[in-house]
Amino acid sequence: MIAYIIRRLISVIPITLGVLMLTFLLFRVIGGNPAYRIAGKNATPAKIAQITRDRGYDKPYFVNFQNFPRQVFDAQFPRMIGKLVRGDFGESITTKEKVRNILIEGAWPSICLTMPLFFLNLMIAVALALVAAYYRNTWVDRSLVVLSTVGMSVSSLVYIMVAQFWLAGEWRLFPVWGFEGPQYLALPLLIGVVAGVGGSVRFYRTVVLDEMFQDYVRTARAKGVSPQRILFSHVLRNALIPILTNVIIALPFLYTGSLLLESFFGIPGLGRQLVMAIPNGDEDVIYAETFLGSMLFVVANTLTDIAYTWADPRIRLK
Amino acid sequence: MLSVRLLTKITAAGSILLLALSGCDRKQENTDSTLYLIGGDFKGFDPVDSGDTESAEEVCRVYEGLLEYSYLERPYKVTPRLAEALPEISEDGLTYTFRLRKGIRFTDDPCFPGGKGREVTATDFVYSFKRMLDPRRQSDGDWIFIHHVLGARGWAEKGEFDAPLPGFVAVDDYTLQIKLAKPYPQLRWVLTMSYAFVVPREAVELYKKKFREHPVGTGPFRLKSWRQRYRIEYERNPSFSGQRYPDKGMPGDREAGLLDDAGKPLPIVERIVLYDVSEYYTFWQMFLGGQIGASALNKDYFEKAVTPQLGLSDDLKRRGVRLYKTPEPSTWYIGFNMKDTVVGGNNPKLRQAFACAINVPKLCEVIYNNRYTPANSLIPPGIAGHTEKPYAYTYNPERAKRLIAQAGYPGGRDKNGNPLRLTMIMPGAGSTDVRQMGEFFADHLRALGVELVAQQLSFAEYLRREHDGNYQVMYAGWIGDYPDAENFLNLFYSPNKCPGVNATNYQNPEFDKLYERIAIMTDSPERTALYEQMVDMVMADCPWALMTYPLTYGLYQPWFQNYKRHPFSYASSKYHKVLPH
Repeated sequence: MIAYIIRRLISVIPITLGVLMLTFLLFRVIGGNPAYRIAGKNATPAKIAQITRDRGYDKPYFVNFQNFPRQVFDAQFPRMIGKLVRGDFGESITTKEKVRNILIEGAWPSICLTMPLFFLNLMIAVALALVAAYYRNTWVDRSLVVLSTVGMSVSSLVYIMVAQFWLAGEWRLFPVWGFEGPQYLALPLLIGVVAGVGGSVRFYRTVVLDEMFQDYVRTARAKGVSPQRILFSHVLRNALIPILTNVIIALPFLYTGSLLLESFFGIPGLGRQLVMAIPNGDEDVIYAETFLGSMLFVVANTLTDIAYTWADPRIRLK
Repeated sequence: MLSVRLLTKITAAGSILLLALSGCDRKQENTDSTLYLIGGDFKGFDPVDSGDTESAEEVCRVYEGLLEYSYLERPYKVTPRLAEALPEISEDGLTYTFRLRKGIRFTDDPCFPGGKGREVTATDFVYSFKRMLDPRRQSDGDWIFIHHVLGARGWAEKGEFDAPLPGFVAVDDYTLQIKLAKPYPQLRWVLTMSYAFVVPREAVELYKKKFREHPVGTGPFRLKSWRQRYRIEYERNPSFSGQRYPDKGMPGDREAGLLDDAGKPLPIVERIVLYDVSEYYTFWQMFLGGQIGASALNKDYFEKAVTPQLGLSDDLKRRGVRLYKTPEPSTWYIGFNMKDTVVGGNNPKLRQAFACAINVPKLCEVIYNNRYTPANSLIPPGIAGHTEKPYAYTYNPERAKRLIAQAGYPGGRDKNGNPLRLTMIMPGAGSTDVRQMGEFFADHLRALGVELVAQQLSFAEYLRREHDGNYQVMYAGWIGDYPDAENFLNLFYSPNKCPGVNATNYQNPEFDKLYERIAIMTDSPERTALYEQMVDMVMADCPWALMTYPLTYGLYQPWFQNYKRHPFSYASSKYHKVLPH
């Protein structure tokens, strides 16, 4: 298994490189030389040239053949990768802050929102899925399926706008915006749950139902095991693999935050920072968040695989 | 069997948490003394990096300069701030002598011995100006001095900070001289800009890179707390030197209550809180909830707030909200690269046809909800040199067809019968508004038989193409830096051509001669007449097809007082008043 984990962790390299390459192509190659933006509208050519030179925007994009082979990697993309690997995330061209500080400051508000949202979603979705599966083909099940389908079909943006207008603006049940205390998280959490739980309920219900028709369930029933025990001790345990996949793969997003909820509710997390960085062309922030996001994604995938062996001892990682 | 109680327990667990968190005990700001405004994504409190509106506004709350704009008087007028009076100008116009006010102190800060703010001297101004010109700072404001101040360019190229810069002289503690290489009557305007504000060397050297987070100024407020990208709070600066609310205004100001606080000490509010609200929808909810004092109106919310007759909606009137409408000192246009083999050159007919083909009033109505008005001159209203003379190339499809035929493209086709294809660059990759505008222009040009390809570019790429002159047609705007037509006319001065600000590469020796004359003239009817002559010259050659002048529509709450928008000054918050609400 250790060899497998090492292999998976090595796969972080090409995946992260690929993701960063796409981001680099989008923002630097297509987006253009940021020196023009930094220098401002009245900039002299000398000043643009100086910023270009100081920040290395004058170097080739991928490979430098000028001093081949000694300085072949003295190019924009390899330099950016080198800095990221060394933990030097650069500085924001908009605010001139160290990106490392931006990431540290943004992580806590993001986690404050995403962590409870993650657990609430998981708890409510699994509970409702078990209820739906247990009462399959009754009005309870059908109502839950219909509500889940409706819930997942409506855009999060609609939930946000309706809730912000009625619940916060008109009825004043919640603050409209801010991150001053736990009460400011209530409305984004409520919206996050309503918008996110539908899909999970449907998925978990299917998984649970698959298990409920297995032979071992019939055997357990025949032996007189109580329905609750069958559901929690047997069915849920055997349904764990798809549930684990769904759950662990969501873990990186706890760190990277929720783009929409953070933006609309003023939660100064990483999701909001990314939303603000994209239109500003704030490359270093975008590269750093992409870098960390892709690494976390691969690590979460590996953790999922490892969790399979715990959930089902028959699985061997090779 | 799975009981209802179990179901309730599991599913309600999360809901209980949400209810516990709901807004029963929301933290409220002290509304008696708090001014709420919308914030922005700003760079920090360093005057040398305050080129964007957001940064300039925040810098102006904590720092000050020698001169400032009169808050209420129009046309725009400069008054002394940290200077005792307006400068004494030598006969040759090359030496400006400023007498500094005595007793102006920087706010208390640990950077000073004993934490007590010291008096501002002329040396501080010399240091601050040099710091702005220091190439290591990469300030985007160096243009205000570098071409005009004696020895500035050489000093910057040399890169030795402590080397003397002959153009800035601290004659004594309270006398500052600025020596110019050539007359620069615009100096009084640029000295009001936040780039030219005074900072103490001690703070810069103590805080180094963190100086942007530790403002130490003489301004009306001092920073109390700043959570980046979230909230800024200021409190009254106890060291602020006794400035009073103006007692002179314009007709109508007294009736509008703008002179009710005449003579009162500034700032009027004790505290300012700003929230960095990135989504306008959220901002709108906060404004309706009374959490924000004033802000400009976004395009998407214009129709909610303003009637088709451009008055305030009944709902907002009932809430006591007031509407303001201010012309912005900027001109939007379609620029032609005069070096381009198709649209450039000495034959203006094609460019004129282009201008006549665009229905600008419809553009204002469809794209801008009438928040913009059709432009008729290079120089926007409110600036000397602007005339109400009708635009020579207003929408006229028939004339456009005639002009394009005269240009050698009858029916929009070249000599070989191929349709004329033009490419226009526009800033704003991915922006729906820009895409709609591109489609609007393309539709109008299609009626002329011309195929217009609108390229939406990222701002950096757009600037690169513009600076390099690597485009055929561009959609652009110029926002005036100060209220002087020279700031617009320099966009046509040939030594400024690409990569300078003359992005259309317009070249006209007669215009250049006149520009060299007006650039050193002080304000006079003769100069205004020359401005008009120069505008006519450019209009005939048509390097710009004029589009629009923006109007800023904004709203302010009934409890938010003394609000008069000034498009050039960012130092207005010291005049604002907030009533208990």
